[in-house]
Amino acid sequence: MGPLEGLAYGFSIALLPSNLFACFIGVLVGTIVGVLPGIGPVGAMALLLPSTFAMHPATALIMLAGIYYGAMYGGSTTSILVNVPGEAGSVVTLLDGYQMTKNGRAGAALTIAAVGSFFAGTVGVVGIMLAAGWLADVAIRFGPPEYFAITLGGILLLSRLSGGSILNAFVMVALGLALGTVGMDSISALRRFTFGSVQLAQGIELVPVIMGVYGVAEVLLLAEEGIAKTQIASVKLRQLLPTPEEWRRSTMPVARGSVVGFLTGLVPGPAAVLSTFISYTVEKRMSKTPEKFGTGMIEGVAGPEAANNGATAGAMVPLLSLGIPFSPATAILLGALVVHGLQPGPLMISQRPEVFWGFVASMYIGNLMLLILNLPLVGVFVTVLRLPQHVLATLVLLLCLVGAFSLSNSFLDLWVLAIFGVFGYALRKLRVDPSPMVVALVLGPMMEKTLRQALFLTRGSVVDLVARPLSATILILAAAALFGPPLVRLLRGRRIAMPIVP
Amino acid sequence: MLARAVPLVLLVDAGVYLTLALRLPFGAAARPGAGFYPVIVAVFALVVALAGTASAFRGVPGAAAEAVELDAASRRRVVISVVALVAFCLVLPWVGYPAAAFAFVTVLLRYLGGRWTTALLTGALSAAGSYGLFAMLLDVPLPRGLW
Repeated sequence: MGPLEGLAYGFSIALLPSNLFACFIGVLVGTIVGVLPGIGPVGAMALLLPSTFAMHPATALIMLAGIYYGAMYGGSTTSILVNVPGEAGSVVTLLDGYQMTKNGRAGAALTIAAVGSFFAGTVGVVGIMLAAGWLADVAIRFGPPEYFAITLGGILLLSRLSGGSILNAFVMVALGLALGTVGMDSISALRRFTFGSVQLAQGIELVPVIMGVYGVAEVLLLAEEGIAKTQIASVKLRQLLPTPEEWRRSTMPVARGSVVGFLTGLVPGPAAVLSTFISYTVEKRMSKTPEKFGTGMIEGVAGPEAANNGATAGAMVPLLSLGIPFSPATAILLGALVVHGLQPGPLMISQRPEVFWGFVASMYIGNLMLLILNLPLVGVFVTVLRLPQHVLATLVLLLCLVGAFSLSNSFLDLWVLAIFGVFGYALRKLRVDPSPMVVALVLGPMMEKTLRQALFLTRGSVVDLVARPLSATILILAAAALFGPPLVRLLRGRRIAMPIVP
Repeated sequence: MLARAVPLVLLVDAGVYLTLALRLPFGAAARPGAGFYPVIVAVFALVVALAGTASAFRGVPGAAAEAVELDAASRRRVVISVVALVAFCLVLPWVGYPAAAFAFVTVLLRYLGGRWTTALLTGALSAAGSYGLFAMLLDVPLPRGLW
C-alpha cells in the first residue's frame, strides 16, 4: 500500500464515529491537561490507559496520541496568558509569549501558536507517512544484534540529552534497567527478584511507575503551595487576529520549527522540550534583532510552538516502525498496543494497516480539531485554571489511585504508585529527570532478550555482536554523541591552556 | 540532606541487587543464563551509584542539586499528602473503595486548606463519581471492603 492509498484507507478508519469521538476526547483532555500545570500529558495518558482496554487498538492509539499532541496546544495557552507553562514543552514559549500579553498582543500570540502548531502537526504527519514506511522496510532486515544496538544506543543517547548531569541520568538508567529485570525471565521462565510474590512474577508494571513519577510527584509539588489563585489575562475573540506584519514574521519560524521539531522527535530524548530550545536558539541566531528576544517577539512564540508539535509527530516514527519507544509518552502508546496483543514494529504497517494508517489519518483530523477548539474556546480552557489547586491536587491523586488499581486490579500496583510518587517527588526536588529510568524500564527487557539472542547467534562473541555494519554504526554514533562533547571541551581546554604551559 | 540520602539509598540497593543477581544461574557468553544480564546491570548500577554518592558527598558539580528548603506549612502539607496516600493503600482492602475514597478526599482537602463543608461535599461527590465511572461503567472490580 503506497502512502496516498494508505492515507485514504486511514481516513476511512479515522472518520468512523467511534474513532472521531476518541480523537475528540483525546485532544480535549490533552488541551485541558496542557492548560493545567498540575498534570502533564504523560500522567494523563497513563491515567486514561485503563479506559482504552475495551476499545479497538486503533481507537485506543488515536485517543492516547490525541492527549499527547493536544497537550502541546494547551500548554502554550498558560505560558502566554499566565506566565506558567502548562507542560515542559511550553517553557520557552513564555519568554516572549507572556511579554506579548503584557504588550497587549496575547490574542495574536495565541493564534500564531495554534496555527503554527497546526502547520507543524500536519508537516509531522507527512513526515511519519514517509519516514515510518521507509524505516519499516529497512528494519525488516534487522536481527537481534541490530535491535540490541538500537536499544543500547537509544538509552545512551537519552542519557546525554535528558538534561542535567550525565551521572544522574546513568543512575536513573541503571535503576530502570534493574526494575526491568524483576519478574519471570522470558527465556528460562525463572522468577527473579520476586521474593516469593506471585504478583511480582508479572514484573513491575510501567503505568503505575509513570503515574507515580509524573502524576503523584506533580501533585505533591502542588500540595506544597496549598491554596493558590492564578491571575489570568482575559482575551476577547476580536483580539485574536494577528496583524499582517505578525503573520509575515511568523511564516519562516513556523516552517523551520516544524522541521527542527520533527527531526528532534526522531532522536531519543525529551524531544518536545529539546526541540523548543533548539528552535528558539535558531530563531534568535537568524534574527536581525536578537537582542529583542524576550521582549515579546512573535518569532520566539511561532518557532518553538511549531517545534514541540513537530516533535510529537517525529517521536511516533521509531515507535511505529521499530517498535521502540524513546520517550515516556511513546512508552505508554506501546503499552496500549501490547495490551491489545499488538507488537509495533516493521511488520505492523503491512499486517495491521488499519491501526497504522487510521492513526496517521487521525492526527490530521486531531490537529484540525485542536485548531478549531483552541482559538474560539481559549477563554473556556483558561477558566480551568480557576479551579483551586488543592482541590485539583486531591482529585488528581484520587484518579491516579483508582486508575493504578484498575490496570490489573492489583494492590501491588497501588504500592508501586505510592512508592514511585514519593521517589519522583524527591527527584523533582533534586532536579533529576526521571525519563531515563522510565525509558530504561521499557527498553530493558527488550535489550536483555535481544542481547541473549544475539549472543546465542554469535556463539558468545561480543566482537561479532557489535561489528555488524549497522550495529557498529549505531553504537559509534551513540558513543560520539555521548563522549564527543566532553572530549571537544577537553581538547579546546588544552588548546587554550597550551600557551600557558611552558 | 536529600541530595546525599537518595544516592546512598540507591548505592545500598545496587549492592543488594548485585548480591541477589549473583545467586541466579549465570550461564556462559554463548548460552547466557537468567543471571547474565542482571549481573551486568548490577555492576553498572554499582559503579554509577558509587560515583553518584561520591559526587554528592564531595559536593562536586554533577551531583544532584540540594533541594530548596520548604517552610513548615508546605512540608506539613506534603507529609499529610504522603500519609493520606499510604493510608489509602493500607485501608482499601478492609474498608472498600467508596469509604476509602470519601475519607481520603475529605481529610486531604481539609488539611490542604479547604473548609469542612467543601471537603465533605467534594469527598462524597468524587467518591460516588469515581465509583460510578470505574466500577459501574468500566466494570473495574473495585474493593467493597469486609462488609
